[in-house]
Amino acid sequence: MSQMLPIGKSAVMTASVPAKPKVEVKNLEFFYGQSRALKNISLALPARSVTAFIGPSGCGKSTLLRVFNRIYELYPNQRAQGEVLVDGRNILDRGQDLNLLRAQVGMVFQKPTPFPMTIYENIAFGIRLYEKLSKSEMDGRVEQALQRAALWSEVKDKLNASGLSLSGGQQQRLCIARTVAVKPEIILFDEPASALDPLSTAKIEELIDELRSEYTIAIVTHNMQQAARVSSQTAFMYLGELIEFDLTETIFTAPREKRTQDYITGRFG
Amino acid sequence: MSEHTVSSFDDDLDRVDRLIRDMGERAGEMVRNATHALLTSDTGLAQRVISDDAILDERQRELDDRSIALIARRQPMAQDLRSVVGAIRMAADLERIGDLAKNIAKRVGAVGVAAMPKTPSASIEQMSDLVLEQVEGVIRDYMAHDAAALTELRSEDEKIDIKYTAVFRELLTYMMEDPRNITTCTHLLFCAKNLERIGDHVTNIAENAYYVLTGKQLPMARPKQDETSVPMLAE
Repeated sequence: MSQMLPIGKSAVMTASVPAKPKVEVKNLEFFYGQSRALKNISLALPARSVTAFIGPSGCGKSTLLRVFNRIYELYPNQRAQGEVLVDGRNILDRGQDLNLLRAQVGMVFQKPTPFPMTIYENIAFGIRLYEKLSKSEMDGRVEQALQRAALWSEVKDKLNASGLSLSGGQQQRLCIARTVAVKPEIILFDEPASALDPLSTAKIEELIDELRSEYTIAIVTHNMQQAARVSSQTAFMYLGELIEFDLTETIFTAPREKRTQDYITGRFG
Repeated sequence: MSEHTVSSFDDDLDRVDRLIRDMGERAGEMVRNATHALLTSDTGLAQRVISDDAILDERQRELDDRSIALIARRQPMAQDLRSVVGAIRMAADLERIGDLAKNIAKRVGAVGVAAMPKTPSASIEQMSDLVLEQVEGVIRDYMAHDAAALTELRSEDEKIDIKYTAVFRELLTYMMEDPRNITTCTHLLFCAKNLERIGDHVTNIAENAYYVLTGKQLPMARPKQDETSVPMLAE
């Protein structure tokens, strides 16, 4: 059974999974200008495991995801304070190399965002930013990434076709291939299947299940059944606070907090 | 518990709850009527128990269908999920209670209680009262969302087991006293065993109900007290 930890202001919530934490968030605050979007968030994501973030719109779950690779810094007036330790190193430090961070922490968005270039180039483009490879090495890496994203068999005969010619589900898997091609350690999924049909959604979920043995995965989803299906631990957030974090099966069968129960059973507000 | 945003979801859950309550009340009435019919040799009442069992079976099928449809349509979570899965399991136990009551009713013609000079009807009646209290109590406590009372109720089953052991011994003495009592006493023994089994189904229901209400399992079942399976060393 899970260990009950108080929602203390400084206690790090863990879902009592034996795995060593890959990411540790400590007393994280986030501001959009004056508006406080994350309030004293502390939690630990275990390595090689899928953690889901659920909660109503505006609860801060996507904001939290955007802190993990500091992508929020692309926008003005957004700032984070507190600590986000990846393998014990605080990625919010000024000295953190953002390019390296974003290679280490990949991200897949709600809408598939392939580059307007060939399928092959969609993958190779990212790799070239970090590594000098020969043509044959690059071919191998592209194939490996497409294999990893379960897309290879569908595109191997048309690698020079435009990435935009693929279906929505294929485009999303192309984006996942692009992400894994640069060998990240952590992959962030922000509503990766919300624009896809059920079959494409199932393929993405199957893929996440395969990726979990190699990567630390965080997924934001509005689909509760999806969170229940793909994750090992689930965090419920509300109005910028982490309300409850526990093993997924506990959250969806017997949550401790009334607000969690109300949300997941559809009794909210 | 507050209401769902989708109010028809509440209607669906209420419907399942009402079926459980209806099955519980019907099963209780069957137990009461079956024992009464047995002790008064009322074959008409016994016949009613037998036909009530068909209605109880029908209710269980309806509950199963509605619960499966609810799961498919609503994908319930947490307390809702527990209550639907719990209802399916509780309905199965209530249906078995109905079967056992029917088994008692079916013996009514064969027993011939009146033929016995001394009858153990007081003991069986006491046992039946205990069982009836349990059947009615478990549904009442579940509907009242009283988890503490369910824990208490589960441990009360021990009284039924002790009573069953006493009835068993009493019937044995009648049989030893006069072999002409053997047929009647054997039938009564089966009836007593059926009542004891009903008590066990009530403890199952109490355990399920407790899980539905709290999300936690009660500790493993208490040690069984049916001592009639243990050789009677003193005798």
